[in-house]
Amino acid sequence: MGQFIQFAINGLMSGAIYALIAVGIVSVFKATKVVNFAHGYLIMFGAYFYFTFAVIIPGQEWAPAWLASWQPGWMVEMRQGLNMFSPLGAVLDWAANVPRIIFGLIGAVLCNALLGMLIERSLMRPLMGQSVFAMIMVTVGLISILSGAASLIWTADAAFVPHIAPNTPIRFEVFGTMVFLFGADIVNMIIALLIFGGIVAMVKFTKSGVAIRATAEDQSTAYSMGISVPKIFSRAWILASATGAVAGAILATRNGISPSLGLFGFSVLAIVLMGGLDSYVGCFIAAMSVGVLEAMTQWKLGGEWAEIVPYVAVLVVIIFRPHGLMGQKEVERI
Amino acid sequence: MINGNLKADYGADERVLNNRNKQLFVYGSMLLLAIFPFVAGDYAMLMACKMGILLIAVVGVNVLTGYTGLVSLGHGAFVAIGAYATVVFSNLFSGLPEGILPLIVIPLAVIVSALVGIIVGLPSLRVKGLYLAVATLAASFIVTFLIEQDLFAPWTGGVNGINTPTANLLGWELDTKREMYVLITVLALTTLLAAQNLFRTRVGRAFIAIRDRDYSAEILGISLLRYKLMSFAISAAYCGLSGALFAYFYARILPEQFELDLSLELVAALIVGGMGRTMGPVFGVFIVMMVPELIKIAMGAATGGSLELARYTGPVQEIVFGLLLVTFLLKEPLGINQITDRILRSANRWPFARG
Repeated sequence: MGQFIQFAINGLMSGAIYALIAVGIVSVFKATKVVNFAHGYLIMFGAYFYFTFAVIIPGQEWAPAWLASWQPGWMVEMRQGLNMFSPLGAVLDWAANVPRIIFGLIGAVLCNALLGMLIERSLMRPLMGQSVFAMIMVTVGLISILSGAASLIWTADAAFVPHIAPNTPIRFEVFGTMVFLFGADIVNMIIALLIFGGIVAMVKFTKSGVAIRATAEDQSTAYSMGISVPKIFSRAWILASATGAVAGAILATRNGISPSLGLFGFSVLAIVLMGGLDSYVGCFIAAMSVGVLEAMTQWKLGGEWAEIVPYVAVLVVIIFRPHGLMGQKEVERI
Repeated sequence: MINGNLKADYGADERVLNNRNKQLFVYGSMLLLAIFPFVAGDYAMLMACKMGILLIAVVGVNVLTGYTGLVSLGHGAFVAIGAYATVVFSNLFSGLPEGILPLIVIPLAVIVSALVGIIVGLPSLRVKGLYLAVATLAASFIVTFLIEQDLFAPWTGGVNGINTPTANLLGWELDTKREMYVLITVLALTTLLAAQNLFRTRVGRAFIAIRDRDYSAEILGISLLRYKLMSFAISAAYCGLSGALFAYFYARILPEQFELDLSLELVAALIVGGMGRTMGPVFGVFIVMMVPELIKIAMGAATGGSLELARYTGPVQEIVFGLLLVTFLLKEPLGINQITDRILRSANRWPFARG
């Protein structure tokens, strides 16, 4: 039972990150009716940007020393006489990294938002009003462009990336079994949930959120009501790539940086379809359940079977509910 | 001149090559293909064989995406199934005389592929467009994952791949690239002709009706269930044939050769060449295979063959591949076939109105 809880919690934590990635795909779909097949590769770029700003730039000679490792006097004092592996030590290790974590996150979000804007401007805008098939295929072409560009730019081997939060192990007992959690994972989950909730609230309550929903409802009517549809498109892409940057940074600290981060996007795409393309709630449910299912598969069948869980799940759901768990049924006119 | 297009009877009007320019083009290219193995170097032979194998698969994707309008991003999996079925059946029937083995194994591989195609096509009855694209993508991930599993490793070799047999047609051992070229070219031309003729039949017309509007097609009495699954089966069968040739052509096959990259290459070749046209796959495959080669040659010349810079070749090829797809979608969505159509039309009408 305790082990079950351990795996369930692990599943919920990775589910939260799936939800964070899914929010980017859903936002772009809601506003532009385009499903971004290359979202995983945007995330990969986010991870590499985080690596650049948090590891490469602080490591340069011209960078100020406090950026690489922040060691004010009081911290050095506190460090004196600490035991190895003490929780306070882990927090202090993290505190020394705070400047470069913040620098890295800001840099990653800004650069990725710029990249998203660039993609929208140069590739999506010219196709506005054309068939959706062409737009989706453009994102498929984007996969090759982005993955080629990433391996062209970042040739260095990706090294250690600083964790976003102190990585202290947390142990507690449930039903007589020990449950292990890592501090960083919990903070990652909280960040993911906060961003997810923030975006859902934004779409629901703010003026620009209403504009996005109106565009999703009917593009030409929204246009004639004075909503600048191109601006909405642009905003959706910026939003998606900025959240993608945060997700990329989190994934980089969890699994390391590698080109396979791009493939991660496909499993999230499966999750999004499973939840219903235009429903934040459905995607959240799908992300959490796939996260838990993956963890359970890992527990019962072994780690490698976990990687096809999202694909099997989406196939099963699509056969019974063609528009996903909570997706809106498309009305077709002949 | 357009006057050359005058037809005196229905028979002449219904011919595949219904004007002189088309005849000239097709018979001319067949002649070139026949001469090719006598003049080409080994590397050119290798490229030609690769193109032929890819072409058969792209023709398959064309049946599904171009003519029936069902988007698939997972056709690499059918090629994988064809290739692995060839190896598995060859090992299974190893008691039979070698000369007739491929004659049994290739059709079996094609049939297995078609059956899997029907299974993968099942979601197409419920979903279409984007959802179908993701469903096929998911199916292809599952297929390559299963091939890699230790569970099936005794038959598939798992992640390490498996050695493939040599084709032996009635005692003629096809152990060089030049001999394989003959088999591949003959089969590629046959599949092209078969695809062309498919769309002059009732079945092919039903596919086109489904592409244009599936509900309207259903109202006209076309069974969506039957024809969508048939389209999936035919398309997967072509890919299975391509996979069988793939297995015979290479000495060893690996699961990673059939992953997403292959599926994307198939779709990209189709879009670049022109969807829903017989010659589309031919042009598309030519461009998709030749452009990376040209980049390799150009990069080699520009960097003077230094190993330091050679590692940039792969990424540059990848970027150009993506740019090719994107550029065609933005500038010429109907593909190269549209360009050649324009040229042919003006040739037909010469010296009168152009365009």
